[in-house]
Amino acid sequence: MTQQHQPIDRNNTFEPKIVGFLCNWCSYAGADKAGLAQVPYPPNVRVIKVMCSGRIDPQFVLQAYKNGADGVLILGCHFGDCHYKQGNFRATQRHRMLLRLLKQHGIEEPRCRLDYVAASEGEKFVKVVTQMTETLKRLGPLRRRASK
Amino acid sequence: MKIGVYFCKCGTNIAEKIDLERVEKEVRVLPNVAYCKSCEYLCSEEGKTFLERDLKGEMPDRVVISACSPRDYERTFRECVAAATINPYLMQMVNVREQVAWVTADPEQAAQKTVDYIRGAARRVSLQVPLEEKEIEICPDVLVVGAGPAGLKAAMALADSGRKVILVEKTPVVGGLPVRYEDLFPNLECGPCMLEPVEAEILESKLIEILTLSEVAEVVGYCGNFTVKIRQTPRFVDMGKCIGCGECVNPCPISTPNEFNCRLDQRKAVAFALKGGLPNAPFIDMKSCLRSTGENCALCETACPVEGAVNFDDLEKILERNVGAIIVAVGSSLYDCTVFPNLAYGNGGDVYTSLEFERLLSASGPTGGTLLTRAGMPPRSVAILHCVGSLDERHNSYCSGVCCQYAFKFNQLVHHKLPEVKIFHFYRELVTPGKEECGLFARAVAHPHAQFIRYGSLAELKVQAAQDTNLLRYQDGGAECEIDADMVVLCPAIVPSEGSKRLAAMLETNLDKFGFFEELHSRLDSGQSKMKGIFLAGACQSPKDIQGSMNQGMAAAGYVLSQLAAGKKLKIEPITAQVREDACSGCQICRSVCPYKAIGFDLDHKVSVVNALLCHGCGTCVAACPSGAMNGNHFTHDQIFAEIEGVLQ
Repeated sequence: MTQQHQPIDRNNTFEPKIVGFLCNWCSYAGADKAGLAQVPYPPNVRVIKVMCSGRIDPQFVLQAYKNGADGVLILGCHFGDCHYKQGNFRATQRHRMLLRLLKQHGIEEPRCRLDYVAASEGEKFVKVVTQMTETLKRLGPLRRRASK
Repeated sequence: MKIGVYFCKCGTNIAEKIDLERVEKEVRVLPNVAYCKSCEYLCSEEGKTFLERDLKGEMPDRVVISACSPRDYERTFRECVAAATINPYLMQMVNVREQVAWVTADPEQAAQKTVDYIRGAARRVSLQVPLEEKEIEICPDVLVVGAGPAGLKAAMALADSGRKVILVEKTPVVGGLPVRYEDLFPNLECGPCMLEPVEAEILESKLIEILTLSEVAEVVGYCGNFTVKIRQTPRFVDMGKCIGCGECVNPCPISTPNEFNCRLDQRKAVAFALKGGLPNAPFIDMKSCLRSTGENCALCETACPVEGAVNFDDLEKILERNVGAIIVAVGSSLYDCTVFPNLAYGNGGDVYTSLEFERLLSASGPTGGTLLTRAGMPPRSVAILHCVGSLDERHNSYCSGVCCQYAFKFNQLVHHKLPEVKIFHFYRELVTPGKEECGLFARAVAHPHAQFIRYGSLAELKVQAAQDTNLLRYQDGGAECEIDADMVVLCPAIVPSEGSKRLAAMLETNLDKFGFFEELHSRLDSGQSKMKGIFLAGACQSPKDIQGSMNQGMAAAGYVLSQLAAGKKLKIEPITAQVREDACSGCQICRSVCPYKAIGFDLDHKVSVVNALLCHGCGTCVAACPSGAMNGNHFTHDQIFAEIEGVLQ
């Protein structure tokens, strides 16, 4: 965890891979807004759309790490805004559970970030992706056991 | 498997930022990709024609379209794919414009990201399966719960368009609260004069079945096909025979507080809820009738000139009706003012709620419209306390919206009845939006005997009963002041009506944090609940005046007519959850997480069953199922796993 406070090494060429699971109604629309505003952000994120953050099965997150992701973003609507009433609450509960599970496997907490991005919040999406990229650059690649 | 990949250049939007030739070179060698083709603008008429023709020629098994956000054009391209006789759910879009081209500074990285996305889409699409939109028959009849302005308007509009309506009303008369008001803001129209013709039209309609003294007892089913049980309390008066003469009332020996006049006077055990109220037939309140104590009193029956109109053998009925949609129009209630001990409400003194004051002003009220204190004297001063329980975090944080207007109406009516009376308005905020609504305010301000006093907190006000009057203490710039107010009128916050919770539970709709019926979307769809087939009208959704209630009643009718058109079948979206029965363990976790109560349980086979009509396709249950028995159509585990693998490879 102490790595987090180290400055970014300018010679560090590590480009982390991030998988972002985004809900269709708020966060995916927020990512589209960033596009409409043509604000460049780190190209490290690969977005996977689901209808609701409540659909994000913890297995998806584990699968992403297994397939080479260094970090995972789970983005949903703000509380009260969920298109499906309460899917984002479920996502929050599952994220809490995931963090415990990941800890047992030695995966640092910042590698799995939950946040809320509204359809209007293109800037916030850019901020979240930028921060996540920087965080992962500090943390370095996710070390996996020899056998995949 | 033959996958066809189509690139939209979007003019220069994509083509200038991403080296599509390089991307194509990498995409061509991906497993199952049979060909790649490009188009300048795929969404243009030429582009769509090209896509459709080309798909018809190539007939690929799966289609990947690399273009803009699926939020913009997925529907369009699905139509093109369908036009080429390929199932539209065998197509996957890649959002290259919004999420790569416009946001990636480095062209090398942009190309790489595009290839990754297309790889993910190609993997995913190969696992996608054809899905069909299903259609079901619907029942065009509609249940309207509550016969206030909103319910009446909705029922009338639906009947006008030929729909059969079942209008359920819990009291003995229709019209809701406004028929109890003598005059209505903003133009001081007479409430009964305005509403009674509407009521009469409803009563005469052959398409509207009015069930008074009735409540919804049970609702099963779903949008398009609800079965509703309605409990009807016996009236003991046959409305078909009763001629409404009222001969039965006078002989009744019983006297009991009249709840229809806010208990400000007495009524008989056989009574009309409201003079002039419709339907024009009395009811017998069996709880206070002598017959309930075993006596064989039949004075009302003897007085009745029509044989059989009084029917002591009337029984509670449970009526069953089949409807396709339900409109909730149960109205609102007033905040309980006894929670403010400093306002001395409910102590038997001359402190009234606005509704009680309306009755005191009404010609059909307890005093016949003469303004009198409980001691029977005309008041010399009236204090009107605005915002009682509204705009107050400790009570109700919202503004009730209508109180200012009726407070200024009271000002006008009191002034009209007793020109010398002093009127004090104690207010926190004044709110009178709208094109006509400030008229009464302007008149109150111009009134020579009206005084406006702003308070900070209701706790600063103290009402104390004194001989013949009330002492009202308040603070003015830090100084303690005091006035005499012979009558104190409270304008309580408008709160959800008593039965809202029970009804919401029955309909499986949500209430908001205040207890009002929660709308699908506060701006876009306030006339619709989050439950398909259940619509909202009037003050049950949010505090409202008559105009707002009528409008929302009309809107609710519009929702029903547009969503459940008679003779038209209801389309079921194919992106729903589906149970794999062989894998379901019957734990029912899916049922507990479903926000739409769309999952039932088959007791015979001990498995969950998804009602595709109620399912909104969020997939929360799919993620929650511990056995992997819940399948999220078009978002299956396998499809998402394939996409994850694809984008990360």
